[in-house]
Amino acid sequence: MTLPGFVIRNAFRNKRRALLSTLSVAASLFLLVTLQTFLRELTVPPEDVGASLRIAVRNKVSLGVPLPARQRSIIEKVPGIAAVTPFTYFGGRYRDEEFTPFAQFAVDPVAFTNVFVDAKIRIEELADWFKDRGTCIVGQDTLDRYGIKVGERMRLSGTFYPIDLDLRIAGAYSGTMDDRSVFFHHKHLDEMLGGSETVGTWWVRAESAESAPQVISTLNATFANTSAEVRAETESAFQLGFVSMWGNIRLLIGSISSVVVFTLLLVAVSTMSMSIRERFRELAILKAIGYRRRELFGFILAESFGLAIVGAVLGAGGAYLLFHSIDIQKLSGGMFVYFEVTPRIMAMAFTVAIALGIVASIPPALAVARTSVVDGLKTLD
Amino acid sequence: MALPIKYNVRNVFVRWRSTVATILGVALVVGVYVLMQAMAAGIEKSSANTGSPDNLLVVRRGSTAESSSIISRDQVSTLRYSPEIARNAAGEPLLSADVLVLLNQPRRDGAGEANVLLRGISPAGREMRAQVQLVEGRWFDRGKREVVVSRRLAARFAGFEIQGEFRSGPATFRVVGHVDAGQSAFDSEIWMDADEARALFDREQYSSLLVRPVDVNAATNLIRRLESDKRLQLIARVESAYYAEQTGTATPIKWLGNFLAVAMSIGAVFAAMNTMYAAVGARTREIGTLRVLGFRRRTVVLSFLIEGALLAALGGALGCGLSLFMNGYAVGTLNFATFSETVFQFRITPALMLKGMVFSVAVGVLGTLLPAIRASRLPVISALKAV
Repeated sequence: MTLPGFVIRNAFRNKRRALLSTLSVAASLFLLVTLQTFLRELTVPPEDVGASLRIAVRNKVSLGVPLPARQRSIIEKVPGIAAVTPFTYFGGRYRDEEFTPFAQFAVDPVAFTNVFVDAKIRIEELADWFKDRGTCIVGQDTLDRYGIKVGERMRLSGTFYPIDLDLRIAGAYSGTMDDRSVFFHHKHLDEMLGGSETVGTWWVRAESAESAPQVISTLNATFANTSAEVRAETESAFQLGFVSMWGNIRLLIGSISSVVVFTLLLVAVSTMSMSIRERFRELAILKAIGYRRRELFGFILAESFGLAIVGAVLGAGGAYLLFHSIDIQKLSGGMFVYFEVTPRIMAMAFTVAIALGIVASIPPALAVARTSVVDGLKTLD
Repeated sequence: MALPIKYNVRNVFVRWRSTVATILGVALVVGVYVLMQAMAAGIEKSSANTGSPDNLLVVRRGSTAESSSIISRDQVSTLRYSPEIARNAAGEPLLSADVLVLLNQPRRDGAGEANVLLRGISPAGREMRAQVQLVEGRWFDRGKREVVVSRRLAARFAGFEIQGEFRSGPATFRVVGHVDAGQSAFDSEIWMDADEARALFDREQYSSLLVRPVDVNAATNLIRRLESDKRLQLIARVESAYYAEQTGTATPIKWLGNFLAVAMSIGAVFAAMNTMYAAVGARTREIGTLRVLGFRRRTVVLSFLIEGALLAALGGALGCGLSLFMNGYAVGTLNFATFSETVFQFRITPALMLKGMVFSVAVGVLGTLLPAIRASRLPVISALKAV
């Protein structure tokens, strides 16, 4: 019998226990992967290719306070700016749903397509949208979700604004990180509101990545000490601003993850010790026929390591497959667009499993090493 | 005849190493479960605690949150001298036209910024919301850019201490008082004078209107009158009922809590099964002896189940005990309805602890069931021979 064969036979000697240990490791690692993915989705927003050039400009007071429309002509004159579009959150409700899982924004269509260059849309649909103020473009995901088509109408009742919109869908876009939103003419919103002179935010595209920092500081300085001071920041900084709003939730999920890992360790050490204690006499015999402590430790380590890795493959691998095959957008009611298990998270799960395998083998190995052959042979159970 | 409970209690402590591991494992699972539910309970409590059943809150029809409602000055003056509205000692109508502004402010620990809700209130607004009590300093004076903030909020944002200053938009505000709002949603707000806030933040309109009707009949009248007046486009709700419905933030936390409970308890059941199988294995001879003495199979099963439940209950009690340290601890997160920081406390209620205990016993029984059945099925003679 070969040494690996010996270890494998030993590991599966008590099949039930091997199975239970593996499954408890698997359940915990599944949980760990899920929590880390959840945390990542909360804290690391997805980014489009064009994001590095995009700059968000909001009111310095907060996102909830609008900006005057007259700022547009001033922003356009800032050197290094390729395009600027108003970008106003409409907050409409669709089909009387409790929670509408897509956002609607009022924009300047021509400028918008120059700022958000990632969106793919057919040229004739785009031309149609440009031409007709009563139209909108809708993300492909939203069209699929409701089974509506280009050319049909979309009615949105305003929760932020005291108006309802009835828009014709001119086109569908795709190819962005979140193909759900609806975009329509800002002029249409202004008309409906009876000549409004405010916008929610401005979105700007810098000419190059090098000029972006300069553009940001110029924008901030230009409106300093005016009645509407602005905060200009890169798209990723803007997105990260939301992360800090989650407050203690992040810490909480982090601590739960550590509790999970700790519990896992406890269970694994206890199982490993249990199975070694049952074999004390055998190990004493091995010692008596000349195996060294180092080799005995090797047997125990290999067994514990193997169980942990199999658990990791089942748990972390299972989570990976599960989250890649389900439609998280539908399941979470639109709270998550993505639930991506990254290689980094998988690597973390496997690192935990490896550490677990090693740590769990140490207490039983120590117990074996400390016991003399005679005492070991005397052990009954 | 049943086996004495003492037998089980003693057995739990014989194999103490794996027993301790299992107890700790169950304790952590139950602790996490209780804490997550305590958070959801805290959020719900803070919504349910807010406002008075004597007041009516008037908002724009179609708005889903108070902060996205708009009330014009005309609408306020139309309603101000309605016969349904009570007056105070000075003969002024009990009515507060509030304005809500979202402020983006730096956190105290330097970890980024978050939105806070600033509420501008009319002079009558203070006496209409008696649950908000001044605990330190004084109330704000009108026209001096003074504010009061909730004591809980003060711990979280920079410059919110008494006499502290913070900047927002064109103005610098001075904090002159700290209030306690009795664990309600007002504990997440900054208060100042409504008209001053409107001027500073360039707001033509108010956000919501709080009125105190003379009596219940007047309240019903007013609600009905606004309902039928298509010109005004307003709806009135009992204030406390309005806030009680704003519990949306608790839903994802509850969901996460339940998911965690399920996933962690699966792991815990496996661990408990392992311990109990080992216990059965080690006590094979003992079980054989019991059977020979005349104890029946179901007595053995029951005995093991009691042992497993006892083991898990110890873990559950430990978990509940550990979670108690977090009771009343204030945490903050994003409120989806207002898009601002909401501060609430972990609320570990007796009902929640009971749930936690039931949960732990269920884990114990589930983990012991198969090992117990195995124990009862051991052939008596060979069991006696086992070493």
